[in-house]
Amino acid sequence: MMTRRTNRRARGWATRSRMLVVVPALAVPAFIAGAQSNLSSQGFGFPAGQFSTRAHGTGGAIAEMDPFSPVNPATIGAFNSRILFFQMEPEYRSVSTATGTERTTTARYPVVFGAMPVGNNVVMSLSASSLLDRTSTTSFNTTQIINGGQSVPMTTTFRINGGIEDVRLAAAWTPQPWLRVGAGLHGITGNNLVTVTQSFADSTQFAAFTQQRVLGYHGTAGSLGVQLLTSQVVASASGRLGGSLRLSSEDTLLATANVPSQFGASIAYVGIANTAISVRTSHENWSALGGLGTQGLVGVDAWDTSVGGDFAGPKIGDRIVYLRTGYRHRTLPFQASTHTVTENSFSAGTGTSFANGRVLTDLALIRASRSADLPATEHAWTLSFGISVRP
Amino acid sequence: MYKKQLGWVLAVGATIVIAACSEKTEAGQGCPLLCPQTAVTLADTTIEASVVSDTTVTGLPPIGNETYTMLASHGDTLDTRVIIRYDTIQQTYSKSNIDSTIVKIDTAQLVAPLVLADSLRRPTVPVTIEAYNVDTTATDTVSSILATLFRPNRLIGSKTFAPESLKDTLRIPISTDTVLDRVKNGTRLRVGLRVVSAKSVDLRFGSSQSATPITLRIKASLDTAATAVSVSPLSQTPKDQSFLSGPLADYTIVVKGSSGNVPTILGVGGVPSRRVFMRFNVPSKIIDSTTVVRASLLLTQVPNRRLSPKESVFVYPLAVLAGPAVTDVASSLQFLGATGQFGLDSLSLAPGDSGVRSFEIVGLVRTWKGQPTTVSPRTIALRSGAEGSLPAEIDFFSTRAALAAVRPRLRITFVPQTSYGIP
Repeated sequence: MMTRRTNRRARGWATRSRMLVVVPALAVPAFIAGAQSNLSSQGFGFPAGQFSTRAHGTGGAIAEMDPFSPVNPATIGAFNSRILFFQMEPEYRSVSTATGTERTTTARYPVVFGAMPVGNNVVMSLSASSLLDRTSTTSFNTTQIINGGQSVPMTTTFRINGGIEDVRLAAAWTPQPWLRVGAGLHGITGNNLVTVTQSFADSTQFAAFTQQRVLGYHGTAGSLGVQLLTSQVVASASGRLGGSLRLSSEDTLLATANVPSQFGASIAYVGIANTAISVRTSHENWSALGGLGTQGLVGVDAWDTSVGGDFAGPKIGDRIVYLRTGYRHRTLPFQASTHTVTENSFSAGTGTSFANGRVLTDLALIRASRSADLPATEHAWTLSFGISVRP
Repeated sequence: MYKKQLGWVLAVGATIVIAACSEKTEAGQGCPLLCPQTAVTLADTTIEASVVSDTTVTGLPPIGNETYTMLASHGDTLDTRVIIRYDTIQQTYSKSNIDSTIVKIDTAQLVAPLVLADSLRRPTVPVTIEAYNVDTTATDTVSSILATLFRPNRLIGSKTFAPESLKDTLRIPISTDTVLDRVKNGTRLRVGLRVVSAKSVDLRFGSSQSATPITLRIKASLDTAATAVSVSPLSQTPKDQSFLSGPLADYTIVVKGSSGNVPTILGVGGVPSRRVFMRFNVPSKIIDSTTVVRASLLLTQVPNRRLSPKESVFVYPLAVLAGPAVTDVASSLQFLGATGQFGLDSLSLAPGDSGVRSFEIVGLVRTWKGQPTTVSPRTIALRSGAEGSLPAEIDFFSTRAALAAVRPRLRITFVPQTSYGIP
């Protein structure tokens, strides 16, 4: 529980991606503990979605059948050679309230992925993806009542870096050309570096201070997936069963909860060459995280539904340029001021290959609108860029 | 072809990576609507028994170590004199780059750099400064002995200054015969200054400690080509003890009106100058386990109307740098941090005022965190900004005051350990 001053980086390599006291003490509210000042990253953070850029381009509709999205472990059976994948995803967000509009930029690296066939129609993969990204900075002014009517104006800045990551070791087996099955072991890890800085208007009496604290997350989960492939339709389903999740600071266990369980299914029409038109839905019980936070934290079991297509577009030389579009509707995991937050987004994307198919690049642009039953709205542009290389 | 395409892809990728790395996450307009409030507490505590010992030490800085010398006369209340030692006087002067032995003296004068007081403190009536020969074989730092040497047969010069002439430097002529005698015989000249005025007067002069002492200027020839000889103060006694003799080149003595010590009072400044030493006992649960944002040393000032009751002086709280190995308080009070160090700020106080004074010492208290008292003693000193140069004395009630409410106490505002950061 001890706080400490530290310069230690709280973000890992994937974290950002994803006496005689004669006068009794007088307690007064001093600062807030979890201020995000937006709709999307309430609670333990914003769910980046664990989607690849390709899946983002379709609004997530093909996530259950996309081998680069660490959602359905069965999909990695599609790889017939070693492959590495990396993705970056800056989000440009604006939040409008009665007091005005604020714009922020958050850099994310939500998916890192590697896979290789190991023989006998088995493919193994190791990936890290962002489950919840809590990065935010909030500054606000208040007046502190000290005692006897004495007060001092002050500025509080809350800076939170980091999030909860999902590190997955997965294997897929393709016993038949029309069937793929897969399983994954998940290590849920990550941390939040929470920095509170408080400064006072009366700097002659009061000295500013900074406190830092690292909140660590450790948990496990397991997942199973299946894909049925025909010449016209691909049906996919997967589920993740959450194990325990612990929240600790230093060597002190603060709380325990469960990793949210999740299941999803999609069906895609693939009757047109190099094209997939898909619809997907998934459900994640974020309320399982409720026990990890304070009493006021409300996790919302959420549906995430999307429809979209990945189309073979024009050819440039001998390479196909893919064009993608999609729509997505989902509920975000944590309430804002006791109101559930929903997100609607439209997306478009493209992708092609280079270097004789050894390099695959994808680009997606997402326009999201988030709202709750509050006098506040949030809009975001997200640019997603993914690159995969077959060594 | 393969390498060229790969190069293009990597270049585009690198550009996006760099663009994606820039962040701007600061926000806050959505608060409090979108910022879930979780109250943590700022606690305010006054610890009355925190000052476990306090004492006043008189005579600091030690004689001769004053930055300024003080020449004061307040009738029967206060009388201070300034002593300057010229234990070595040059016996030659230069004329057209040729050294000549001094055989006669045209003029001899003391050149005294006056430290200007603010307009409220400047004399309003003429003041006379008298110079006496105070050389003696007796113990010549004892004021009772030196005071007897300020008698008419030892007067070697004087000058009366109109109030408007008291500007930056005063020139006081002294007996050329006396000076010539010292020059020819190679003996020392020791001068005592006394101020006489119809009203109370305080004059501050530079000292050897501030590198602007009162010098002896000798003009050995009327020839304009002859360079005047300037003699700086120098003390050669006590013999073979330079650390003692050096500071005694010029110093102040109090002939009348020394400040008294009362156990219930902590005195800062005055004549001779005094400093206050305080030791605290603050619970480690506050020092070590919280973040202190304010620490106020609350002292109740006692009016002192004996001398210059309305003339404000700065009182500085200072860190005591001496460790616990130094058990003598007077010695500890000579190892003090610089003014302003650790963010310690002064208060401007007038001796005649009263009331609770708050010295903000949060910067010092924070240095105690995680440090045992053997490494970082919980001590502080109070010093006058005009010590040794102005008679003003600021008094506070000590821990031995009869009324508990006026004793020193420490008010600490701190942020307790909290479980912040959990949503």
